Amino acid sequence: MKYFVPLILLLVIACSGDKSEPVVWQSMEQSLQTQLITVEDGGIIELPEGNYMFTKSLAMDGKSNVKIRGKGMDKTRLSFKNQTEGAQGLLISNSHNIVLEDFSIEDAKGDNLKVTDTKGITFRRIRSVWADGPKTENGAYAIYPVLCKQVLIEECIAMGSSDAGIYVGQSDSVIIRNSKAYWNVAGIESENSRWVEIYGNEAYENTGGILIFDLPGLTQYGHTTKVYNNLVHDNNHENFAARGNIVASIPPGTGMMVLATHLLEITENKILDNKTIGIGIISYDLVAALNEGEVEQENSIGGVQTVDNNYKVDTLYNPYPYQIYVHANIFENSHWFPDTGNDIGKLFLAKSFMNPPDIAYDGIANPARPDAELCIQEGDDITLINLDAAHDFKNLTKGAKQFDCQGKKIEM
Amino acid sequence: MSTRFFCVPALIIFTLLSCKPKNQEIVVLPEIETTIDLTSVGMEKLSDYGFFTGPIKNLSPADGIIPYSLNAALFSDYAWKQRFVKIPQGSKVNYSADDVLGFPDGTVFIKNFYYPADFRKPQDNIRILETRLMIHEAGAWKTLPYIWNDEQTEAYLVVAGKNIEVTWTHYDGAARSIKYSVPNMNQCKGCHLRGNKVMPIGLSARQLNGDYEYGHGKKNQLVHWQDLKMIEGMPSLEQISKLVSYEDEQVSVDLRARAWMEINCAHCHRADGPAKNSGLHLLASENEPARMGVGKAPVAAGKGSGGLLYDIVPGKPDESILQFRIESVHPGIMMPELGRSVTHEEGVALVRKWITEMK
Repeated sequence: MKYFVPLILLLVIACSGDKSEPVVWQSMEQSLQTQLITVEDGGIIELPEGNYMFTKSLAMDGKSNVKIRGKGMDKTRLSFKNQTEGAQGLLISNSHNIVLEDFSIEDAKGDNLKVTDTKGITFRRIRSVWADGPKTENGAYAIYPVLCKQVLIEECIAMGSSDAGIYVGQSDSVIIRNSKAYWNVAGIESENSRWVEIYGNEAYENTGGILIFDLPGLTQYGHTTKVYNNLVHDNNHENFAARGNIVASIPPGTGMMVLATHLLEITENKILDNKTIGIGIISYDLVAALNEGEVEQENSIGGVQTVDNNYKVDTLYNPYPYQIYVHANIFENSHWFPDTGNDIGKLFLAKSFMNPPDIAYDGIANPARPDAELCIQEGDDITLINLDAAHDFKNLTKGAKQFDCQGKKIEM
Repeated sequence: MSTRFFCVPALIIFTLLSCKPKNQEIVVLPEIETTIDLTSVGMEKLSDYGFFTGPIKNLSPADGIIPYSLNAALFSDYAWKQRFVKIPQGSKVNYSADDVLGFPDGTVFIKNFYYPADFRKPQDNIRILETRLMIHEAGAWKTLPYIWNDEQTEAYLVVAGKNIEVTWTHYDGAARSIKYSVPNMNQCKGCHLRGNKVMPIGLSARQLNGDYEYGHGKKNQLVHWQDLKMIEGMPSLEQISKLVSYEDEQVSVDLRARAWMEINCAHCHRADGPAKNSGLHLLASENEPARMGVGKAPVAAGKGSGGLLYDIVPGKPDESILQFRIESVHPGIMMPELGRSVTHEEGVALVRKWITEMK
């Protein structure tokens, strides 16, 4: 028996490592949902410190001036890994002046945090992630205000979204600042939104860093956006979006992508080591052409935007970008080759060998508005390509000064 | 000696095995019961309202509490339902020919959901799970869910919903079990919203136009209400339309299927319902085939279309999105979206027959 004690000891020591410890979760599903229903206008819901597991969506509807507050994004952790009912983690609808702050939310089947039809919504120091990292099965959006007004997202972290990490859709008066997005397909995306400021953020190691999109067939179209002082680097992650989704067309290695929007200023950003393209400025014609042959999908459960081949039916939609002013950004790219797993990357490899573009414009002009008022002032050293995609790249032109004009500055 | 040497490697192997990193092992502790003051929402206990006399589980109505049934009832995971209405003394219901009747302030609907242990003996061993109240106050409808205790001595207001394991012996003698889902209060709107107001669903004249056994012989429910002077503006019975029971095999498949879809689908799929944007209208009174889904392409079905092109393809239920969705139990595909976790086998068989026979 003399080996018995040391062996037990060995067992204890060997098994006391962190790795074999199961994570112990607490439950507060009933009490939290009850509070979300019963909280009085002006009330605060305090989320205690600890790890909490949920099996169904939480929802709050029709409240005013309510704050939901944790003890910190590293201390209060809400997980939906065991979710069997509902698509969202937390859904807030039809409300006024709601503040969410200082907690972490993870692993919902659909979107982690969705806020819809709400005027006044603040996300502050929220970490919203799919904890196992990037996977196609992950939910679409980590932080997702849609059809909202007066949106503030600050000091948040978004990771693992199979579509966009911080995603603002069809909203007005939006600020996204001092936040981080990584390991998403799209880091930060503003879609069909108006009066949007995106500044002080770090978007890195996504497929695409920051996207400003205008898509057809929705309730409103976007304009008036300013993207400045952001650090957008190493967005070279493989694209893990589900096929048919609009972001599935984003080539890995994209710093920023501007699609079909207008009144946009991009300035004083650092755009570093995105291997395929620093900033792409494209029309919906190009997206549709790249997606030709894909089976069209309707909006899926999470409201993910899919490629809409009938966009020409939407007569109010302008598929061409215009009034875009890009100036005084810093571009660096230590990569010699673009990502060649996609058509755009292959194109750049062929047309700009060993020198992926800092900025590329698809060159597809609006027949009704031939002057796109595209102004790019980035000095003499950047690689700027006009693809002339409308004519099969026949007149593709390179030259840092080809859109040298003073564009419209965006004041909010 | 030999035993010892056998034990040592065995223990080491055991140690190594037991210490393999257990990725994603999740241990969830049960929720600690907390009490939240719900007095601003509604009464704490069902017994507080005094709807019943005697032991509450017998559901014996007190004076002024009238039992009723609907000709065609919503499918709720095979739950049985016992319904009552309370109209305040002296108030009257306003008759409406084709919509939900006009109920006065103070009206309460009391809907009890229960499972007999054996569906072939529906009176015995009944387990009541929940009681939903709809209360008409200051011109607006309020919805309150009460969940029964295991002892069946009381039901308590629970606004957050709950999942309850239920087992029973089905009509065919087979054992069945499901996780019954009591909705949370936010979810009531999922079915009860008309325009932007919460409304009752089943309480129309054509649903109530049928006999009920009041304990001293069967009587038409609307006639009974008239005899009690509970309703005004009601025409003679012959002039009142009647929704058929989808369980009545004497009636045509067309009428039965339309009745089933009206109560299971049309609370949303109507011109002023939450699914109006779909363009699919399933009230039994809808006569335009395209609005009923025949040859109609989906608008925003997403994954729900199952890759099929039309809501209804006459003669081809397996090419019809409507059939696909009422048969599904996938949370993102199934219709209706709420209130069931299993398929209503008899109902979907009926709709299947209806589409098969459709020309």
